[in-house]
Amino acid sequence: MKTGKQKALNILMNVLLIIYAVFALFPLIWMVMISFKSDTEVFTTTFAFHPTLANYKEVLLRSDYGRYILDSVIVSGGAVLVSIIVGVPAAYALARYNFPRKEDLAFQILSYKFAPEILVVLPLFMIYQKLGLYDSYLGLIWVYQLISLPLLIWVVRGYFEDISVEIEYAAQVDGYSWYQIFFKMLVPLIKPGLVSSALLAFIFAWNSFTFPLILSSNKVYPVTVAIMKYLGTDSAHYGQLAVASTVSALPAVIFALCIQKHLVRGLSFGAVKG
Amino acid sequence: MARIQLENVRKAFGKVQALDGISIDVKDKEFFVLFGPAGAGKTTILNCIAGIAMPEEGLIKFDGEIKNLIDPAHRNVAMVFENYALYPQMTVYDNMASALRSKLYKTPEDEIRERIMWAAKTMKMENLLERLPSQLSNGQKQRVAMGRALVRTPNVFLMDEPLAHLDAKLRNSMRTELKEMQANLGSTCIYVTHDFMEAMALGDRIAIINEGKIVQIGTGDEIYYMPCNEFTAQLMGDPQINIFDARIGEVAGGFTATFPVNGEEITVSLPEDGRVYSTIKEKGLEHVDIGIRPQNVKYSFEAKEGYFKATVYSYESIGNKSVIVAECGDYQLRMIAPNGLSVAIDSDVYIRFELDRSIFFDSVTKEYIVRYDEQTFIDLAKSEEEK
Repeated sequence: MKTGKQKALNILMNVLLIIYAVFALFPLIWMVMISFKSDTEVFTTTFAFHPTLANYKEVLLRSDYGRYILDSVIVSGGAVLVSIIVGVPAAYALARYNFPRKEDLAFQILSYKFAPEILVVLPLFMIYQKLGLYDSYLGLIWVYQLISLPLLIWVVRGYFEDISVEIEYAAQVDGYSWYQIFFKMLVPLIKPGLVSSALLAFIFAWNSFTFPLILSSNKVYPVTVAIMKYLGTDSAHYGQLAVASTVSALPAVIFALCIQKHLVRGLSFGAVKG
Repeated sequence: MARIQLENVRKAFGKVQALDGISIDVKDKEFFVLFGPAGAGKTTILNCIAGIAMPEEGLIKFDGEIKNLIDPAHRNVAMVFENYALYPQMTVYDNMASALRSKLYKTPEDEIRERIMWAAKTMKMENLLERLPSQLSNGQKQRVAMGRALVRTPNVFLMDEPLAHLDAKLRNSMRTELKEMQANLGSTCIYVTHDFMEAMALGDRIAIINEGKIVQIGTGDEIYYMPCNEFTAQLMGDPQINIFDARIGEVAGGFTATFPVNGEEITVSLPEDGRVYSTIKEKGLEHVDIGIRPQNVKYSFEAKEGYFKATVYSYESIGNKSVIVAECGDYQLRMIAPNGLSVAIDSDVYIRFELDRSIFFDSVTKEYIVRYDEQTFIDLAKSEEEK
């Protein structure tokens, strides 16, 4: 039986949550609304307007928007892929092996995330120009490692540390080779951490603005930079801008929904004595 | 099914010498128990045999073949880990099947099923097969870990305290079961425990380990009746053996032992025994530590001829019997008594030793010197070994 006091508390909590949800979602809702408005109606502050698909037609059919999205997918996806291939073994090494200055190294990796992008991007620009990495997929994928790799290594390392080393020993005794153990026993256990950190890394890479702004120009055009194109020199097409932003937010949302069930943690608990 | 030999194995973790020259020779089909206090290096020995830990020195041989450089997978050993080490993402059934499904030990699925069913039945856990490890209690996990080893036919079973987390009743029945199973399977088994009852009940032979060294190897009775030093004597037996310092004196036709009890000097004559008397004479012993098991200490609550007086320190029931602890000044004496006595703390108790059951230790080195009826126990040990 719930007492009246508890009920009131429940209602209060829900009301607060709803207020927060509205507060957090309002900019997004406003953006979606603008994307359906014609240029003349953009500045009205009422919710009533005449919805139109003109902006969508303009952006999706009459510009290179598809190419920009594709570029973003390639560099962000590539960056996450490289991070997984490099980061998972690195995380395993940091979790399992003891070597001199291990913690220093781990901290060094984390510290890449501290550096303000604008600070490192200028020297990188010079180096990229010389190396021929400027305005290339490889160049952007490489620099995106600064964003995605530390995150992935630190999250996955924690998951590896949670797995008792005896599980590996048991599998060895059971007749499995190291690679079989890694893929059959360990990967399923770190999967929640791997998936969630990879998703976060993907979103961070996708949203990155400073790096592609400075380090790419014509050949590689990620969507974050491309959106600026709809800010003309003489006029700003806010409607088209909103469409570009709305559509560019979709992939991350779709990914998050698809892998939601893997984001649940707790699989690795309980098999080892506490 | 193999003979397992360790020759002078040494292993250090940083500055800690975990194993300091371990040599054991486990016969084929033997049930060998490693027994010692926590941190003695028992688990490290198992890890070295399994190949999980690499010794810095020494040889590990299976059937005479040196296995030092063989990886764990190819040694064909089955191990029960102290913390279970179950695979959390697999059901109990898949956990138990994992070894038989590996490329190395590939077995047809219907045979796997048969063996798992057999193991599950002996471990009384048929109803658990579809569960995940996180849905099991500690005792159940331990049984699954045992089951995972038992489905295999390895060179040797390595068991690291496999019964430690079971409840008392199940532990007793498992103990019996295990001994019988091992005899039926005809396999070598190396078993780590810190429970003296388990060691005595299961082991064909027992190795006492302390601080990375072997203290003594022998059958349960051999170690119990002829412990090689005071450490072993204290480890084997519950309640612990009584050990006290005594002065040997010579009188006409025999020897006496004199020891202090609450400030008074008590002198008792040592019963005649050829071996004991001749040893005392040969070594010219003046001081010895006398070890006497609690069941060989007799007590009375009234003054009696040949009994000396002490005060009761505590009286506690340990199930089907009780232990009286008596205060004797510098040391305490433990003795077995029946249940249901009304014993007041600090009351007087009169004590007599059955000295013809005592063991003599060197009072300086704490090593075994001699005991009463030594030949009987040497013969007993021999006959057990021949079995």
